[in-house]
Amino acid sequence: MARDTAQTPTNPRLRLLQGAASYSSDFTAPSLSAPFKLDEGYSDETKSQPDKELLNPSPDDVMPLPDWVHAYGEAERAELAYNLLRTLRASTVASVVERLAPLLHMDPVLKLPPEITSEIFSYLDPQTLLTASLASRSWRSRISDSRLWRDLYIGEGWRVDIDAVRTYEQEHSGLSSPQLRKSRLRYADPDLGEPKQKKRVPPSWLDSRATGSLDNNEAVRGNGLQAAVEADTEGDHPMSDVSNDRGTLLSAGQQSPSSSTRRESQSGSGHSKSNAQPLSTTSRRPKSSSLLIRMPNGAAKINWPHMYRQRRRLEDNWAKGRFTNFQLPHPSHMEEAHQECVYAIQFTGKWLVSGSRDKTVRVWDLDTKRLWHPPLQGHSKSVLCLQFDPRPSEDIIVSGSSDKNVIIWRFSTGEKLHEIAPAHDESVLNLRFDERYIVTCSKDKLIKVWNRRQLSPADKDYPSVFQGSGVSYPSYIVDTSEIPSPILEAEIAKNHIRTLTPYSLLMILDGHTAAVNAIQLNEDEIVSASGDRLIKVWNLRNGACRKTVIGHEKGIACVQFDSKRIISGSNDDTVRIFDHASGAEVACLHGHANLVRTVQAGFGDPPGAEETLRLEALAVDNEFRDAQRSGTNVDLGPSALRRAGYQQNTNGSRNPRDIKALGAKIPPGGGGSQWGRIVSGSYDETIIIWKKDNEGRWVVGQKLRQAEAAANASYSNLDAAARNAIARSNAFAQQAQQIQAATAAAAAAAAGGVQQGQTQGPAGQGQGQQQPLPPRWPTTNPNPTEQQQGGPWPQGSVNPVVNPSLLITNHHIQNPITAHQGANRPHPAIMNPVLAAAAATHHHHPRLNRIATVPGQPPTSRIFKLQFDAQKIICASQDPRIVGWDFAADDEDLREACQFFTGL
Amino acid sequence: MAAAGNLLTFVSADNVHIEVERDVAERSLLIKNMLEDLGEATEDIPIPNVNEPVLRKVIEWCRHHKNDPPASTEDEDSRRKTTDIDEWDQKFTQVDQEMLFEIILAANYLDIKGLLDVGCKTVANMIKGKSPEEIRKTFNIQNDFTPEEEDQIRRENEWAEDR
Repeated sequence: MARDTAQTPTNPRLRLLQGAASYSSDFTAPSLSAPFKLDEGYSDETKSQPDKELLNPSPDDVMPLPDWVHAYGEAERAELAYNLLRTLRASTVASVVERLAPLLHMDPVLKLPPEITSEIFSYLDPQTLLTASLASRSWRSRISDSRLWRDLYIGEGWRVDIDAVRTYEQEHSGLSSPQLRKSRLRYADPDLGEPKQKKRVPPSWLDSRATGSLDNNEAVRGNGLQAAVEADTEGDHPMSDVSNDRGTLLSAGQQSPSSSTRRESQSGSGHSKSNAQPLSTTSRRPKSSSLLIRMPNGAAKINWPHMYRQRRRLEDNWAKGRFTNFQLPHPSHMEEAHQECVYAIQFTGKWLVSGSRDKTVRVWDLDTKRLWHPPLQGHSKSVLCLQFDPRPSEDIIVSGSSDKNVIIWRFSTGEKLHEIAPAHDESVLNLRFDERYIVTCSKDKLIKVWNRRQLSPADKDYPSVFQGSGVSYPSYIVDTSEIPSPILEAEIAKNHIRTLTPYSLLMILDGHTAAVNAIQLNEDEIVSASGDRLIKVWNLRNGACRKTVIGHEKGIACVQFDSKRIISGSNDDTVRIFDHASGAEVACLHGHANLVRTVQAGFGDPPGAEETLRLEALAVDNEFRDAQRSGTNVDLGPSALRRAGYQQNTNGSRNPRDIKALGAKIPPGGGGSQWGRIVSGSYDETIIIWKKDNEGRWVVGQKLRQAEAAANASYSNLDAAARNAIARSNAFAQQAQQIQAATAAAAAAAAGGVQQGQTQGPAGQGQGQQQPLPPRWPTTNPNPTEQQQGGPWPQGSVNPVVNPSLLITNHHIQNPITAHQGANRPHPAIMNPVLAAAAATHHHHPRLNRIATVPGQPPTSRIFKLQFDAQKIICASQDPRIVGWDFAADDEDLREACQFFTGL
Repeated sequence: MAAAGNLLTFVSADNVHIEVERDVAERSLLIKNMLEDLGEATEDIPIPNVNEPVLRKVIEWCRHHKNDPPASTEDEDSRRKTTDIDEWDQKFTQVDQEMLFEIILAANYLDIKGLLDVGCKTVANMIKGKSPEEIRKTFNIQNDFTPEEEDQIRRENEWAEDR
């Protein structure tokens, strides 16, 4: 430094630059400075710490050199050393060289400042980083950099509720509990949380992710494809709007607990002994958590290495089937249960809303597992579909029924606000809403769009008229494009053109030739799936059909989409993934043995996914063309290959022989991160968690059975130790199952088959059972015995055939209600012997596993609807109870971290 | 002393004058921004804390890469990072560790993103695939963990090992 100042530039600007230079050099200095080394206990390890001092070596253990040597320049000294060495014997030279060797190796952690080592580490994967952290204490401390692990977390395609993180940090800042100080010591690192990566910080990535966080999307779009959707909207989503929404959502969360408390105390239901595990830990005891790092200034920061680690553990629990089960209602309040099967659920935050064949809509508190409102009564037939948004700005539930009507309720009070009667000519099979519209679809083959708020023709949300087939508008809709806007405004002013009241019909989309079973809504697009085996994409603004996607061999029951992919489940027992852009089928997943009724996918797109996906797709296309050119037997028509004895792998294989279509914008399988997950529920009474294998192909990760979950859930009254035992035992069983599956898959592969998914054991009802998609399947009673036994069951009692495990519950838990209603209890004689046997076993083992579906026995737990988030799956089925799988599996650290995790 | 026309003069920390073409010098954002502020550079430009051999290496890199498209920071930050290094750069970074680290420091100071990336990738590649002991050897690191501590950390790290 001193040397530069010798020649002072006259130009003040240059002096400025020099000033900056000295500043910057100070900035990079710490790694070289003495205090840093002292910290690490390196001060006298000169041998291992060659620095600039190398040029001027004067360590104590080195023979002092005569002064005249220092007078020489670098080149002269080198020449001198060389000549000096030449006077020595070769072996002596060798030993000198050996002694010098360490000088050529120097520790970058000591030589380089944290912002640069952090840049170096950012090129390494977690495994390498953990290995490197064993090199020394200073390496360990530098690698446990919070920012580094935050970026790794985001890079995995995992999402985080950044607002929840910030709120939590604020809440805990300033407090200086001994526990926190302890954790600060453990993770002491000078660079944590300090903004020092001046130009290296990813451009507000975190924020853009948060805007699309799962909760938010759920609230806005319902339990659609939110996880995947959000990844696409980053960038093209008006950020400010979303964060505003976000803010209100947060306040909703803050307000609701108090109102909930009020409600509970009113109802006076003493369930304080409830063992339901709170999902949120904010109200819990302050614990010596690793979740926070205390900064020197007292501020609390989230400990990202800890977050990364917990998320990995959570994902491992998903992969290995480690979970605990829970149910709604709480087992000790069975009187709150729906009285018949549940067709629709959605959850967001702590709230879950369900709709049932018992004609009611019920609102549940997921923390207590208790009913929040009295059941909402208004429909005269089964509630088939619903969506809700608990934010105070929205505060609504919309439900559709086989009574052909749609009811709008106030979420917070349960009061009926409006009824569209009739909305359709037949059952309303599905509905979606956003801030602007409600879209409904029906067995009458039509899709209808309704406005939610008053709408003037000058409003941007007023429909534009498409002059083509497939869409019609009520006569009161004017074609605003034909009227010059001054005239339009004048006409509106004169009341010549009608301003639409809320819930007016805007347009009718008429393109399907069978019942429209499912719709999804995202931005300005509707995607519909129908019994006519087609998926259609519609322009929400004018109702024009943009494209038709063909692929399924039977009727389609469910659909989800984002800007990149469309995922659907069908009566052909498959789940298929289509490229949104080209309509090409990029995967077909075989694993269910009956109609796939419900599906949700999270692809876990990491940042920058759009481009990655495009490049991957292009590479696959090129490989296909190469293979074609080199004469390999590839053919887009699978039939040709089948004739040649090759069965295509359709689970996302990138082998040219497995490619079904070219020109897709996404690779086979749909792309996304290695953590991608699809969860599908079927009439075969199972839920499959699909995951990706090492080659990126979708395989069956776990097969869950609703009946087992229900049995386990009724044991949630047991203490934590017992529940842990159950979790372990589950994991064990799942592993055994995986081995079985692997063996089966290997056998299938050996036989030339590639049906990775065909692993079902006794679950398989067989392919022979396939029937054409019943046009009114939600309303037809799926369980004949139910009718034989005559109508709805009395409160608190349960149908014996549908709910074998409930019997057990009743035996185990002295439930006063069931005891009172002993007369309603099923007589043991009606009990199926198999179930009785299962019940007997159950007494000895706290887990009722592998309930075999007995051939000829009516199905009792067909899955109607499921939803998952980062931590759990919840499903509605033929069973009046709603059951869930919690993959935090009773782990304290995990449950605590889960409050910040959002989906994939 | 003043550089004529398109030539600038850098003065290294050890007071050596080095002439550089302006487009080469402008690979450094620090220099580029300074020149934009100044309009015409008529003075020598001191580069304190970068000595001559390092500065010459840095200029060599800038000269080779003078026609590279400007780095689009957003793209690169958001994409999964690869440690691939092109052939010329690989050869360029085959230097002793002291030189390598000083090039990195200089690139950081002069704000030459491409060079900083190459340097960091090179070091990252030196870490990859090595055991802790091999890493210590590579960088002459003293192991200051007790065997018990090392064992403890290994156990703590087990969560990341499968999959």
